Amino acid sequence: MKSLRKNIFREIWQTKSRFISILAIIALSIGFFSGIKSSAPSLIKTADDYFIDNNLMDFRLVSTVGFDDDDISAIEKAEDVMQVMPSYMADVITTLGNHDSVVRIHSVPESESGTPINKLNIIEGRFPQNSGECVIENSTLSYGNLNIGDTLKIQPNVGDTKTSTYLKKTEFKIVGKVESPMYITFQHGNTNVGNGTISFFAMIPAEDFAYEKYTELYVKTKASASGYSAISDDYKNMIKDETTTFENLSKDAAERFNSGTLADAKKKLADAKKEYSDKKAEAEQQLADAKKKLDDGQKEFDEKIAAAEKEIKENEQKLKDGKAELESSKKTYNEQIAAAEKKLKDGEEQLKNGKQEYQDGLDKYNKEIKAAQQKIDTANSEYQEQYNKFTYETKPQAEEKLNDAKEQLNNLDTLLTVANASLDVLKKIPEEYLTDSQKQKIKELETKIAEYQKQYDEGLAQYEAGKKQLNDGEKKLAEAKQKLDSAQKELDTKSSEGKATLDAAKDKITSAESELREGKLELQIQKLSAEAKFKDAEQEISDGEEKLAAGKTELETQKTAGQKKIDAGKSEYESGKKEAEEKLAEGEEKIKDAEDKIADIPKYKWYVYNRDDNKGYSGLGEDAERVNSVAVVFPVFFLIVAVLVCITTMTRLVEERRTEIGTLKALGYTPFSIIMKYFLYAAIAAILGSIIGSLIGIATLPRIIVQTYGILYTLPEMHLSVDYGVVLISSAVAIIATCAVAIFTCVKELKLNAATLMRPKAPKPGKRILLEKMPFIWKHINFTSKVTARNLFRYKARFLMTVIGVAGCTALIVAGFGLKASISVVAEKQFGDITKYSAVMALKESERYEKCKPLLDELSKDKNFSTILASNTSSTKAYVDSSKKQLELSCIIPQNNEDFKKLIDLRTRVNKTPVELTNKGVVVTERMSDILGVGIGDKFTMLISDEPYEVTITGITENYASNYIYMMPSYYEQITGNNIRYNTIYAQINNTNSELESSLATKWMKNDNIITISFVSDIISSVDDMLQSLNVIVLVLIICAGALATVVLYNLTNINIAERVREIATIKVLGFYNGETAAYIYRENIVLTIVGAIVGLLLGSVFTKFVVETIQMDMVMFSKENNPMSFVWGFVLTAVFSAIVNIIMYRKMKKIDMVESLKSVE
Amino acid sequence: MPAFVEFQNVFKTYKMGEIEINAVNDVSFAINEGEFAVVVGQSGAGKTTILNILGGIDNCSKGRIFVGGREISRLRGKELAAYRRYDIGFVFQFYNLIPNLTAKENVELATQICKDSLDAENVLVDVGLGHRINNFPAQLSGGEQQRVSIARALAKKPKLLLCDEPTGALDFNTGKNILKLLQSKCREDGMTVILITHNSAITPMANRVISMRSGQVVSNTINKEPMNVEDIEW
Repeated sequence: MKSLRKNIFREIWQTKSRFISILAIIALSIGFFSGIKSSAPSLIKTADDYFIDNNLMDFRLVSTVGFDDDDISAIEKAEDVMQVMPSYMADVITTLGNHDSVVRIHSVPESESGTPINKLNIIEGRFPQNSGECVIENSTLSYGNLNIGDTLKIQPNVGDTKTSTYLKKTEFKIVGKVESPMYITFQHGNTNVGNGTISFFAMIPAEDFAYEKYTELYVKTKASASGYSAISDDYKNMIKDETTTFENLSKDAAERFNSGTLADAKKKLADAKKEYSDKKAEAEQQLADAKKKLDDGQKEFDEKIAAAEKEIKENEQKLKDGKAELESSKKTYNEQIAAAEKKLKDGEEQLKNGKQEYQDGLDKYNKEIKAAQQKIDTANSEYQEQYNKFTYETKPQAEEKLNDAKEQLNNLDTLLTVANASLDVLKKIPEEYLTDSQKQKIKELETKIAEYQKQYDEGLAQYEAGKKQLNDGEKKLAEAKQKLDSAQKELDTKSSEGKATLDAAKDKITSAESELREGKLELQIQKLSAEAKFKDAEQEISDGEEKLAAGKTELETQKTAGQKKIDAGKSEYESGKKEAEEKLAEGEEKIKDAEDKIADIPKYKWYVYNRDDNKGYSGLGEDAERVNSVAVVFPVFFLIVAVLVCITTMTRLVEERRTEIGTLKALGYTPFSIIMKYFLYAAIAAILGSIIGSLIGIATLPRIIVQTYGILYTLPEMHLSVDYGVVLISSAVAIIATCAVAIFTCVKELKLNAATLMRPKAPKPGKRILLEKMPFIWKHINFTSKVTARNLFRYKARFLMTVIGVAGCTALIVAGFGLKASISVVAEKQFGDITKYSAVMALKESERYEKCKPLLDELSKDKNFSTILASNTSSTKAYVDSSKKQLELSCIIPQNNEDFKKLIDLRTRVNKTPVELTNKGVVVTERMSDILGVGIGDKFTMLISDEPYEVTITGITENYASNYIYMMPSYYEQITGNNIRYNTIYAQINNTNSELESSLATKWMKNDNIITISFVSDIISSVDDMLQSLNVIVLVLIICAGALATVVLYNLTNINIAERVREIATIKVLGFYNGETAAYIYRENIVLTIVGAIVGLLLGSVFTKFVVETIQMDMVMFSKENNPMSFVWGFVLTAVFSAIVNIIMYRKMKKIDMVESLKSVE
Repeated sequence: MPAFVEFQNVFKTYKMGEIEINAVNDVSFAINEGEFAVVVGQSGAGKTTILNILGGIDNCSKGRIFVGGREISRLRGKELAAYRRYDIGFVFQFYNLIPNLTAKENVELATQICKDSLDAENVLVDVGLGHRINNFPAQLSGGEQQRVSIARALAKKPKLLLCDEPTGALDFNTGKNILKLLQSKCREDGMTVILITHNSAITPMANRVISMRSGQVVSNTINKEPMNVEDIEW
């Protein structure tokens, strides 16, 4: 046996590629199967462990009035309850970035002993220790800018309510970041404040809440303590039972409340009633008083008006008198003025005459003076002439004569002197000495002296005479001058006298003139003053008139004003009266309401929420289920392929070792020990494959898938949960199948005797194929194709195997892409084609259309909305047989059909023909009709206000997300007999985007009538998230499909080559090039791949449908239409994988040694 | 006239771990065109190796080989394939017919890759299989299969027909017929035929007899007057 064992390992080594093929395909299938199968449990376990570790509540109780200690102790005593934790909660508003966000504030979970319910995981920082501190959720998706050390500032108001109603403080210092098991998705649910969506949560110490009573209770029951998985049916059933317990407790509490608080309320009501009647009487008294006052006022007003009118009349008379007086005094004045003016005119005349006289006198005087002056002037000029003649002519001449004379005299004198001097000289000489000449000369000199003396004397006499004559002339002239001067003097005297006379006359005239001027001036002054006086008087009169007019107007104004006041008073009185009446009516109504309310006992209510009401929680279960469904479908297929691969491989192996088997048999080995070898070979491959596969599969796939869902959920590190049963069973199936194949083939061989076995097995004889019997085809295909065709049919098992393997690969890829397409269609078609509205607003109360109208009008003024439609939207149940499937769905009753068509496209899926909403029945969504199995014309039962009504289906519409029943208001009224009331408004937003939506939400949430606004885009984004996670699954599928195709094709090609190695060697010897040799084999591979791919496409189509059917939920209809692209992908990727295998095999084929292959038979 | 086939100091060495074994040890010989040469020797004498090397399906380790003046010992890969394709016709001991192809198709398998080939049916008629053209190998007797094999080799119009123990798996008479066919091809068509056998009884029918032992040529004799196959008994 030892050598046999050696033989096995040697065998494995020699046929390693084949061994690895078996190992790989088994590893692949087992890995895929166990990996996928472990993903959902791991996802669940991760969540479960998280819930257990953090002590997640099973129930959350919310009361309409809060909880007191009685309530808490009642719950604590209840069956199944393990732990109760009272808590506070408030939804308030904070500003993040530039818009308002709603933050849900809880009290930090606390417990006196043990783990508190909903224990937090602190991620960063610490828990709040002091008042005014808080922790916030550790997430970066919903908000990004808050960090430890920052302050969370709460706005002072939440809608109409003051924040101080809820919280004692409005600023909280962030000291830590936490994760809470209550919030495992990024969707935190809805609220009725702010924009209606909770952005994140924060936790503060309980002491910072301002409530009197606890707002909510977290309860832990035996359901989760019993160890059931949080999403298991066992858990759900327990929860169902326990819910009933709490509902009963709620009733008890309500009774307690009614007997205590409610009794008080009743008393209050009675008081209120009394107060009402008192107030009513008071109000009536007040009204009567008011009426009296109003009447008095009227009277007073009338009197006042009459007095004022009288006064005005008097004043008018006075004014008239004053006017007459003014007229008469004006007349007198005019007369006086006329007289004065006449006088002045006379004076002026006189003055004029006087002036004339004076002018005449002046002229005469000037004339006479002028004449006299002329005479004088003449005389004067005569004198001047004579004077000039004498002075400049006669006198100089005379004087010249005189001067000449004088000079002559002087000369004579000189001569005389000289002569005398000479004589003296001579005379001095004594005579004795005198010579005769000298005596002569004395004689002559004596004569000459005498002569000169005589001449001198004569000249002197003449000169004296001339001088005398000149003096006479001068004397005469002086006399004339004197005469002239006196004449002038006389004239001057005369002239000045005349002038004086004239001046006196002139003075007279001037004074007369000034007198006249003064008179005139005085008149003027008088005139002016009189006129001024008149003017004043006139002014006075006009003022009086004006005043009178003003008075009249005022009277008019006051009259109207007074009338108005009176009217206002009257109307005020009327409206006051009406108001009072209304108020009284309202009061009556209120009292009635209060009475109704008190009568309506269940109004005190606890809301019993369990984990399922947490959005993320239920989604987790659904997601896990979906993964699980995929896990069932795909890997089973893998296993089938794996077994088929093992069969071919083992068969081939055993056949190849035929000689060896024969030899061993001949040597005397028992069949058992021979079989053992192949059994062990197969077993080792299968077991190793199973181990490797499951290890790798479990190590990778759950992590990938859980991490993918980590995008959607806030969960701690993955906790692996392996479904060992499934792993073992699938491994066992693979191992047993492989080993069985090994045994079966061995047994088949061993039936032959040793001798036969030792001879080479006759090659499978050639056969004619069916195609050859159709010569018209056969003749027309070329030689190589013929060879290929015949070879294809020669190895039928391999043919089948390849086709199945390749088909499986293609089918997987098609299914992967098809699945993705089918699901993405939900978002594409639902929110692209069918749902056209962008937002849904929930109204505070259901109202008649007339009451909704103002709000609708207001909304339609907002240009951002294009279509607005009021409708009645309600959750309902539909069933055909109440004991069977009951489907939860929504019923939408649009107010009008025209707008409805713009908001939701009702059409058939196949032909896209519009589906009309009529008043003959309802239109339902396709998924709903599938689930309930009802069609057009069928009837089903639906609940309206919890009452069952039978309705008829008139149309089935294409729809992917959620299920709806649509009906017209008329049909509703017809079947229920009630009037329709509207509670929602559907709106279409133009060019919507998240910022616009956020601002619209903030804007319209301020409206009292709107409770919440939800946006379709939020749904789209959550659907997109889901698709993101599917992408990974599709990728995993494709990778696995690729691996499958590669292993199958590799293995089969490998066998094909091994079986035909002689054939290949032969054609190589014949001179086939490597390419031609490869083509010789590959032609078959390619055909097989194509056939396999085509089969795979068909299979994939079926497969996709099957998977889609399997994983689709009640809530969602996936597209049933084939997606062409997924076929293209399936084909192309298969071709790619096949090409990869062929490339790998080409190398192997090239390496085939002709010598070795050909001699093997020897 | 230069030799048509010439081996010059050819070695074929296998390495078995540390030891080197010369399957062909310094072999030199020459064969002329149109000759019917028989290489004779015991099992393991290296005759098949020589044929394989000559046929281009194996490489020599050392030495030079010429065929028709071309040194084929230098050819590699595709050249070697082309050499096999156009110059060589190979007849195997176990026929190596493709079981999934009829006699005619087996011949066509060879002719379809040649530029200048004979008509498959004619060749089959020529080798005496006119009546079995459309039979699968499994439906033919050993001799008939070998005829198909020869027809497949001849149809390519090779320069050299290499036969590896063509009668090894056949009974006496059938073997004789096959040899007769080969001889007539050589004589009538001037085909150069090289045949290896361990049966030295066949040697008289050859023009040239090369006997080998332990990878070496022991003798290379020319038979001036080869006998007709019919006259040989063994």
